[in-house]
Amino acid sequence: MKETLLLTKHMRSNPEDSHLIEVYEKSNGYKTAKKVLLQESPEKVLEEIKDSNIRGRGGAGFPTGIKWGFLAEDEERYLVINADESEPGTFKDRILLERDPHQLIEGIIITCFAANIKNAFIYIRGEYAKPARRVQNAVEQAYQKGYLGKKIFGSDIDLDVVVHLGAGAYICGEETALLNSLEGRRGEPRLKPPYFPAVKGLYMKPTLVNNVETISSVPWIVENTGKEYNKLGVEGSTGTRIFSLSGHINTPGNYEIEMGSSFGEFVETLGNGVRNGKDVKAYIPGGASAPWFRGDQLDIKMTIDDVANNNSMLGSGAVVIMDEETNLVSAAKSIVSFFAHESCGQCTPCREGTTWLEMILERVASGRGRTSDIDLLLDVCDNISPGLSWPPKMTTICPLGPSAVSPITSLMNDFRDEVESLIPTKILL
Amino acid sequence: MSWEDSLLKQAREIIDMYPQKRSAVGPLLHLAQSKDGYISDDSISVISKLVGITEVQLKSVSTFYSMYKQEPTGKYLLSVCKSISCEINKSDEIIDVVKDFTGLNNNETDKNGLFTFEAVECIGACGGAPAMQVNYETVEGLSPNNTLKLCEWLKKELPEVVVAEEMQEDFGGYKSFDWAISDQSGTTGSVPGFQTLKTTKERN
Amino acid sequence: MNENVKINVNGTEIQSAPNKLLIEACEDSGIHIPRFCWHKRLDPVGMCRMCLVEIETPRGKMLVPSCTTNITDDMVVDTESDVVKKAQEGVLEFLLINHPLDCPVCDKAGECPLQDQTMSYGPGESRFVEEKRHFEKPIPISEIILLDRERCILCARCTRFSDEISGDPLIEFIQRGNKTEVNTFPNEPFKSYFSGNTVQICPVGALTSTSYRFKARPWDLKSVRSTCSGCPVGCSIELNSSQNKMLRILGVDNDNVNQGWMCDKGRYNFEYLNSDLRLTSPLKKINGEFQKTTIKDIYSDLDEILKNNNNVKFLLGTNITNEEYVSFNEFAKKLTDEEPSFYINDDLLYEGFFEDDIQLAKINDLNEADTVVVWSEDLKENLPVLYLRVRQAVKNGAKLIVFGHSNSTLLDIADYFYTDDVISKNFEIGDSLPMLEGVEKFINDKNVTAIIGKSTPFQADESIKKLVSYLQKYSNLKILNAFSTGNVYGAFHTLSSIKNLSDFSEEVNSDNTDVLFVVGADPIGKSIYSNQIKKNIKDIDNVVCLDLFIHETSELGNYIIPTSSTLGEKEGTFTNIEFRTSRIDKLVPSPGQALSDWEFISGLSNFMKLDNNIDSLEELNIKAYEGLAQQTKPIFDNLDKPSNLDGILNNFEVNISTSENSGTNCDYFVGKKLYGDNVTIRYSHSISLLGAKQFIEANNSTISKLNLNSTKCLLSQDEVEVPVDFIENEKLSDGIIFIPINRRNLNKFDFSKKISITPNHSKAALNVN
Ligand SMILES: Cc1cc2nc3c(=O)[nH]c(=O)nc-3n(C[C@H](O)[C@H](O)[C@H](O)COP(=O)(O)O)c2cc1C
Ligand code: SF4
Ligand code: FES
Repeated sequence: MKETLLLTKHMRSNPEDSHLIEVYEKSNGYKTAKKVLLQESPEKVLEEIKDSNIRGRGGAGFPTGIKWGFLAEDEERYLVINADESEPGTFKDRILLERDPHQLIEGIIITCFAANIKNAFIYIRGEYAKPARRVQNAVEQAYQKGYLGKKIFGSDIDLDVVVHLGAGAYICGEETALLNSLEGRRGEPRLKPPYFPAVKGLYMKPTLVNNVETISSVPWIVENTGKEYNKLGVEGSTGTRIFSLSGHINTPGNYEIEMGSSFGEFVETLGNGVRNGKDVKAYIPGGASAPWFRGDQLDIKMTIDDVANNNSMLGSGAVVIMDEETNLVSAAKSIVSFFAHESCGQCTPCREGTTWLEMILERVASGRGRTSDIDLLLDVCDNISPGLSWPPKMTTICPLGPSAVSPITSLMNDFRDEVESLIPTKILL
Repeated sequence: MSWEDSLLKQAREIIDMYPQKRSAVGPLLHLAQSKDGYISDDSISVISKLVGITEVQLKSVSTFYSMYKQEPTGKYLLSVCKSISCEINKSDEIIDVVKDFTGLNNNETDKNGLFTFEAVECIGACGGAPAMQVNYETVEGLSPNNTLKLCEWLKKELPEVVVAEEMQEDFGGYKSFDWAISDQSGTTGSVPGFQTLKTTKERN
Repeated sequence: MNENVKINVNGTEIQSAPNKLLIEACEDSGIHIPRFCWHKRLDPVGMCRMCLVEIETPRGKMLVPSCTTNITDDMVVDTESDVVKKAQEGVLEFLLINHPLDCPVCDKAGECPLQDQTMSYGPGESRFVEEKRHFEKPIPISEIILLDRERCILCARCTRFSDEISGDPLIEFIQRGNKTEVNTFPNEPFKSYFSGNTVQICPVGALTSTSYRFKARPWDLKSVRSTCSGCPVGCSIELNSSQNKMLRILGVDNDNVNQGWMCDKGRYNFEYLNSDLRLTSPLKKINGEFQKTTIKDIYSDLDEILKNNNNVKFLLGTNITNEEYVSFNEFAKKLTDEEPSFYINDDLLYEGFFEDDIQLAKINDLNEADTVVVWSEDLKENLPVLYLRVRQAVKNGAKLIVFGHSNSTLLDIADYFYTDDVISKNFEIGDSLPMLEGVEKFINDKNVTAIIGKSTPFQADESIKKLVSYLQKYSNLKILNAFSTGNVYGAFHTLSSIKNLSDFSEEVNSDNTDVLFVVGADPIGKSIYSNQIKKNIKDIDNVVCLDLFIHETSELGNYIIPTSSTLGEKEGTFTNIEFRTSRIDKLVPSPGQALSDWEFISGLSNFMKLDNNIDSLEELNIKAYEGLAQQTKPIFDNLDKPSNLDGILNNFEVNISTSENSGTNCDYFVGKKLYGDNVTIRYSHSISLLGAKQFIEANNSTISKLNLNSTKCLLSQDEVEVPVDFIENEKLSDGIIFIPINRRNLNKFDFSKKISITPNHSKAALNVN
């Protein structure tokens, strides 16, 4: 299994200085944007994106062309780049921000041209200081060159880009929470309906929210046509995707591949196998929110649909390998704690439920569990996500609450003995 | 108002970057923290006036985000990741080293104002787990031993500017990805080094 | 009108007006869906998740919050399925995890939605064995409100009310997730005029009021519906008592008027009813000392006096019922052949705009208008709930234009706010009106509802006419006349002629008055004509005061008759600012020998054999509405019909004949603040301090021009000296100094002359207790 380098090509060929504008321009950077702005129509760009069948890389996997098409008419519209990457296991946007910020800016220019947008924001999580600095430098360079600002590339088009730093709240990755945050409010997700960003987004104006990787893919697609992009990967999961591989693996890292091969192959070839030659006990196919797969499910194909058909999700493209010695109860607890800590607190089931789950798991993990705790865990999960099915049903505004349920159902479905073994059976109630 | 004129000027410049004043709340709170090491009630009053909301509205926003500290922080904010990839790569050992060395529990600051310790959620360094940040500058591929050395170095050298590359080189290990040439820029204090905030510091 | 939408709920088809939320549509059809966060008058947030129901979608059944889901045609809804029940049980269990089990000591117990729903929908027992979340037990967040964060279920009702409705977001969520708590900012308490509403709508006992704390259990309460007579908005209210003591007032959701809300003065100004200082027996002044006597004795004295003296005048307060106005009118008519002289206890009373060619507005017209224009006394201070209705109109899309130096709190939401650029220091409007951008954009050819009144007693009557005639000419104008004292609109149509306090101070003295009746009025304590009035009254031989208390004015009486309060001690009717008449009702007995004003007058009439047929309240009630069509008569029979509980609107004839005020050249802007230190507030201990502070306001540059070097200063003029705090108010124009006159002694200055303002380092500004 080999990588296919579209997004990471430039940075791979220039391992030292791919983030500098001179270097980016030497690899034909900004040529596409310039050509598009001076010679092409917004409709044509939109066509290419639609043809490419690219689906959003932020986690939800919504078709990007369709999303752009939803954007309501208004004089004032916004593009917001979601660079809040905080899903445990995920670090693929970080590399794009840090190593190839100009590719993102070029993507922004083309996107804003296609959608007739004059103001874009890049919302970068606050902990990403270095990536944010690189992006800010890149934005300043682009302004100096006249690629941003007034009459860019000598066209009639104006475009301003502001790099905005978050401040430590995973929930701000959820697009409506992000908009609230960008408006200087608490990062609480908005009700959908009525606040669909494409209609009522930033400042209640139509807004496109797209992930860093999604927009970074735009220059390639527009340069090489959507049809070419569509040829890569498999139907429903076209193009390439950057997977963040971590956990008990020999060579963790970001790998850009066409979707379609199996997780096992990925682990063996690009990941160079499990550390110390151990077996995989379980793995997470798509970030902390995704239900786990067992070690004997490594033949599942890395496509959005295959993973979904096996009751999980490819999500943010974060693959976390847990070897045979992993304490899965602690692993689950770590994930549940994450969601409890990051709950915005609006919805009762998420606010109270995730914390309660954390408390019960803590008790079980430390050997103070009760036999009734297994049922209790599942029932609390059921009250957050009724039916414990996949995709999750929700009692909440956003999927954060139900995300905390994934590791527990995975644990109970496939590794129940491991939980039971931690419960001292002598306690009679 | 008790912000200096130069800071107020910077605040107004930030406000001007946005279509609506209130959007500047985020960066202004970072600015407040760079001034005091936390969000003081006084800064809340200043900022709320600048953007035209009430103090409690601003307090409500500032307490929502974990990077805005409600208590003064030390010179070095040590944030050790405990999320899944780090957790299964023994982040607990790293946490123990930092706790032992500093004598601090989670979210505590020593009385000399040198260190603040916190165990945090994923910092996007999963490929280089276990990892931590010092003043939001990342170090990946930590071992307990190197973590101890890092802490000792901070305590002994008291570097004015903390730079990710430098710490990675001296104390880090396996990285999530190649970092390219070093920028040599970093930060001072518990606020990310970032141009807009004028918190980016060059190491000389 | 759009067509109705039909939806299927639990197998039954129901019809509903379109654009309704599912929870509302169900409610209207008698299907109750449990909820905590949803409140009809607040924007939905869908936070508590208690109202989840199942609807059918192309992708199968889905759980959705009924409070954020709009109904659509043929929607199929299940509010009782097993999944729904399980989800609701889950939510309740989650809420109870951290809710303290202190129902036995909680004010809310017995009327607590959380308690009730735990009974109806709850899981029975908790499986939560960990430590509950702890917070310091109730903390005061203002003089009148306490917050118990442990009890809070984070429904965001209080925070939304403050932000959306009252526009003073001083209470907010702090922290996030499981640590979230509601709180105020340390040095910025919940100093809202509307904070009591949050206590009323809090679904648990997290917000409580000092006045009601530990006072009663809901099952012991008696209650009656009435109308607040605090100001002419006339909010619909419910009075609660226990053991014959008034304990609490709640806002009733009258769609036309207050929509459930009240101001805090209306809500908490009731403890005076039980004050030890209430007058309980008739008093007669003998050798300069008041002595107890009997009503009979006073009747026979007055009979004697009135037989021998023809010059009788009346100064009436506005806290009496329409029936009582009628009783005075009928009484006066029998005493003289001339037009009786009624003066109303109101400095700002003027002729207003009631002519035939004026279209009078209803409060709800604010919501229909393209543009709302305000030029009046400060609404927030004087007609608080009307201020909320203006805010609501703006929220619904109306443009707002505000004139004058008052109403500065509307600055933030006004599209145009004209002060010293357009309005002179004396509240004169210049000739620039047609040129103003806001006028051109939002007035010409628009549907305009204007709230019009005097901003200050010194304003020339003439000064607003220019604006009104412009508006009338260039827009489709409706006017809401903004008078701000109690039942003054009731006086307008029940009394045969009305004059104001300025007239009173000039006209009424011992030369022309033998007998003066002063009814529930303390002009000496409150009016800017205080000095003159005091001088005049002192000389009048026979002064008969009807009042609840002894105060600066009643102490000058030769007789004082203890009276019942309009708040819960008597029955009658009240007419509000839009001429809507509604019921005043009785809940508690009057103390001692206190009696209603009408009872006293009717008794006196009988004693004097005046034969004026005012023996009963019913007779007075019928007399008050003679000449109206039967079905629109606000007589008791009509008002008690369920369809008329919100009051009956009428076009009444208005009888004001004040003499023209040509304006006073004055350096100060005087006006009333919501809380003053009049007797009722002074004797209602929970709020007594709120009106006690002595202060004046100006913007920073005005203050610095005075070179005071201190915010403590001394106002002095002749013998009057008042230490005050100088408070910065950036919303005031340059050079304007605001002086609140409903504070002790601040009304005693002669505002047409200079008042000296000097630093006051020695004495701290006086806080009168
Ligand atoms: C709890 C939660 C967290 C999320 N975090 C992120 C994130 O960190 N980055 C991101 O790009 N999208 C995130 N998303 C997805 C966004 O809501 C949104 O779908 C995405 O930004 C759209 O961009 P795309 O279409 O380009 O993927 C998150 C969603 C949820 C529900
Ligand atoms: S606004 Fe007026 S009527 Fe309403 S509660 Fe307040 S004082 Fe009473
Ligand atoms: S009432 Fe609907 S979520 Fe609270």
